[in-house]
Formats: sequence, structure tokens, C-alpha cells
Amino acid sequence: MTVLRMLIGRYLLGLRRRTHVAAVSAISLTAMTLGSAALVITLALLEGFQSTIRRQLTESGVHAELRPRRGAALPGGEWLAELRRRHPQLEVRGVSSGAVWCLVSDAAVPADLEVVDTLTTVEVNRVLAARLAAGAGSQIVVAGHRLVLTPLGPAPAQRSLVVGRVIASRPNDDRSVLRVPPALARGLLGTTALQRFELRDAEPARAWAVASDVQAEVPEEVEVVSFADLNRPLLAALQLERVMIGLGVGLVIAVAALNLLCNLALLAAEKRNDVAVLAALGLEPRHVTSLFLTLGLVIGFVGGVLGVGVGGLVAFVLDRTAALPLPRGVFIVSHVPFSVTPGAVATVLAVSLGAALLASLAPARAAARRDVLEGLRYE
Amino acid sequence: MSGMAVQAQGLDKGYGQGDKRVQVLRAFDFAVPAGEMVAVVGPSGVGKSTLLHLLGLLDRPDAGHLELFGTDVAALPGRERARWRNRRIGFVFQFHALLPEFSLEENVAMPRFIAGERRAKALGSARELLAAVGLTSRCGHFPDQLSGGEQQRGAVARALAGEPELLLADEPTGNLDGSNAEALFTLLRELHGSRRLTSVIVSHNEALARRCDRIVRLTGAVALEERPRP
Repeated sequence: MTVLRMLIGRYLLGLRRRTHVAAVSAISLTAMTLGSAALVITLALLEGFQSTIRRQLTESGVHAELRPRRGAALPGGEWLAELRRRHPQLEVRGVSSGAVWCLVSDAAVPADLEVVDTLTTVEVNRVLAARLAAGAGSQIVVAGHRLVLTPLGPAPAQRSLVVGRVIASRPNDDRSVLRVPPALARGLLGTTALQRFELRDAEPARAWAVASDVQAEVPEEVEVVSFADLNRPLLAALQLERVMIGLGVGLVIAVAALNLLCNLALLAAEKRNDVAVLAALGLEPRHVTSLFLTLGLVIGFVGGVLGVGVGGLVAFVLDRTAALPLPRGVFIVSHVPFSVTPGAVATVLAVSLGAALLASLAPARAAARRDVLEGLRYE
Repeated sequence: MSGMAVQAQGLDKGYGQGDKRVQVLRAFDFAVPAGEMVAVVGPSGVGKSTLLHLLGLLDRPDAGHLELFGTDVAALPGRERARWRNRRIGFVFQFHALLPEFSLEENVAMPRFIAGERRAKALGSARELLAAVGLTSRCGHFPDQLSGGEQQRGAVARALAGEPELLLADEPTGNLDGSNAEALFTLLRELHGSRRLTSVIVSHNEALARRCDRIVRLTGAVALEERPRP
């Protein structure tokens, strides 16, 4: 409607006389812009750190697991060979596990033993390496639960192993883990029936899709556990962190929306006479409602867009210039990372528009319900 | 033009509640033939402006029957009342009530903007009206750049923008000095005739009221006297 566009333009810009109207609009716009910028920067910061964590997971962790639905052992057959043939990019490692003791000079360190069919050397994770004060090339003595007869009676089987490699521990996994080839494991555990298969794609970015890629190619007795399910607690924690921090920072937009509500109420009171005159000239109450609603939404939208622009630019510059360094050895990255995603942009715009809409409803309805005669007398 | 433009029967209107209620109009009858210019005079608080607000569909009577040009307007829904105010009724207020953010020609075109007319066409009609009231040179000026007389002439032009049939003026010369008041009333008289309007004008100015076709004097909520214009 032409008249609404004209009114909105004049009230927002306040080009004549009522410069305090324009100032009030500018304050609301600035508040929405700052709130949106703060939310964009915060979401970019969260995404920067969380995407780094997710990348670490995909680069160092297992992308999918094949487990038996019933019993402890996987079914036999040609399915595994067929799987390996169809997906040459997948690293498929059969694993069985048990508990062992790593014997040091004055103590015994419990550890989880994982038997991996594709291993050719002994691996310890960082947690176990730290506890044993061992590294690549170190010799360790391992005692399993299989008993052997000795002159002194039954005793746990022991083997001396040379550590071939120290591997990274999984995030939030503080277990001591020892990984050995099947031949070494038989002496410690006896049986080495494979309990699960670990799948890793050569391209870490495909970690999320590995489970769905192989789902149709395994027997019914085999359960495919996806990357998301393997890391569910950590991913859920990351998501919760994103939501809670986003809500907290989103309160800035809520404050800006309250400011907008006050300013629209002030504007509606300021324009009481004008609105009454317009009603006397034939402007319907629903158009009065639309006028103030649209005013609020324009401020919310423009503020949101400006905030996204400002916040996105700040995040981009801070990330590209590595302006916020982090101590080495403490964090997994050298500087505070920022990553602005389309989803974050859409979220911020939706929040600012939604907040502006909620803030505009009450003043808009109140302005439409005002008595025309009261407004005409208000001069 | 024939027939009755305004027919009001048994109008009641009061304000307030309980002990503080003031009954402004009680069983009030009022009729204006089409094409007549009627002046409504009386002391302050007797109900002149209230009558005009009821005729202008700015307010609803508590009881009674009101017809404008044969239509029962008391029962019209809000949207229809707004359309009547936009297209069939023109209102001139005591204070010019021009919108400060808009130029004079935009103010005059405002009823047409509200009706949804395109900007260029509405402004063209507004300029014609401003020419009729002698304000061609002031089209682009804003209300605070005009004199009192110019502001009120602009308000008259705006009241005629929707090509109304009924013109209502509530103390249109109340804020003007003698010569400006005289000039404005002359303008109203000329436009009333040239545009074949039916006009109801509330005025404290007896001299100007005598220039109308008929004077209706309100002396109380019910008492009504009519004195034809000599």
C-alpha cells in the first residue's frame, strides 16, 4: 500500500523536523545490529572450535563399526571380502578386545587390549604411554588372563613386547589402550575371535557417510554403528554447548527487541494525532497495525542484515589474520578459529526478525485500538 | 440534487460512566437536504462537535437512526465506515491537522493515497485542488512553512480530495484572524457551490454563520431551534 510505504519511509528517516524520531529509530537499529553481530561472532567462534574438534575426530577416530547383533562374534562368510572389494577406499580392521596388565618395575598398569587383524606392530595410546613412561622402541611386559602352568603353579601368561608406535587417544577417552596383531594376542588371551570391525575412509570428510554406504552390504546379523553414534556423547555435548551459548548471547537481541518495543511505543504516542488524522481520512485500523508492525520488522531486518555483515566481517578478519593466538600445547589450534556458516546467518536473521515481530505486536495493536477522537483532541 | 443528504432521528450520545456520565445529545433529530449549507451554532459543550463526529462516522451514537444519502450508516462495519470517510465525507478540523512529515501537496493527496491511487495521479489531483484554493505556489512547502490561513486552506483542499458529497467543518475559522476567517469562509462557500456539496459547518462566528443557507442553534441536549438564513 503506497501510503504505508510513504509513512514508514518518513518515520524511519525523519527527514523533517522530528529528528528525535529518526534518532530513536537509529538507536533501535544500532541495538539490533549489535545484537545480531554479537550472535554471529559467537556462533562463528563456536563453529570454529567445534569444527576443529569434529575434524580431529574424523581424522583420528573410527568412522563406523560393524558389530554382531547377537552373541560376541561376527558371522563368517564372504561378505567382508566383498565389502573390502567394493570399497577399496575403506580401511577395514577387525578388532577383538580383552583386559591385560602392563608390568612396570614397581606396579601393574591395567589396560584394554585390542587385537587388530591388519596391524603388524604394537601400538600404545598416549594415555598408556604416559603411564608406562614408554615410547616407540620401549620394551614392555604384558600379562593376560590366560593361565599357564609354571613350576610355581598356574600364572598369567606374560609376553615381552616392543612398542612400535604411540597413537593419539580418542577425544574424551582416558582409557589405557594397547593394540597388537593377532599372533601376539593368542599367547595372552587364547582365543582371538574378532568382535567388531572398524572402518575408516581414506577421506576423513566422508566419515559421516561411511555407515550409510555399507549398510546394505552387510549380513542382517551385523549391526552398523555410524560415526555419529560412536561419538554421540561428545557430539551431543557440542550441540548443547552451541544451543546454550547461543541462547545466552541471543539475550542481547532480546534486549535490543525490548528497546525496539519501547521506541515503537514512543513513536506511536508521538504520532497519535497523525494516526487519528489518517483514520479520519479513511485509513483502516488494520493498516495502522500494519504500519507499526512493518516499522518494527524493517528495523529488525535491516539491523539483522547489518549485524550479520558486521559480525561476519569481524569473524572473517579475526580468523584470517589469526589475531587471537592460543598457547601451544594447551589447545589443538594455534589461534582462535572463526567460521561463519549459512546456517548461522539464517539463524541470526530469523532470530532478529522474530524478536522484532514480537516486540512490534503490542505497540502496533495498541496504536490501532486508540480512539480516533482522543487522538484528534491530542494536539 | 434532490433528496435528504443527512437524516438523523432520536440520536443519543453520552460520555463517561455512572455519576460522571454526561449526556451530550438526547433524542436529537437533524436533517439536511442535499446541496444545503447548514451552520450549527451554540455554546461550548452543547454537542456541536459531537454531532459532527457522528455525521463524520468518527463516533457511533448510543441510540437512534442516522442515514447519509439514504444509507443507514450507524450499523456499518468499521471497514465500510473508513471507506465512507475516505470517499464520501470530507472533514475540516479546527486545527489544520496537516501531517508535518509531508509536503502540502502530499497532505492534500493523502485521502487518495489511502484509497490506493498511484502517486503521480493523486498528486496531480492534489495540485488541481491547491490551484482551486489559491495555493499553487506552495505545493512543495511543508506545513510549518505555511501561514495559518494557508494551512487551513490546505486542509480544505485535503477535505475535498476524495470528491466527497458531504463536507463537515468543525470550527474551520476558529484559529484564524478576522480577514483570514472571512477569506476561508468565502472559499468554503464557493467550493460548496462549484462542487455541489452538502455542507455542515460548526462555528462560533455568528456573522459567518449567517452566510449559510440555514442556521441550526443548539441550546441543550434536546432543545433545537432552526432559523432560516434571510
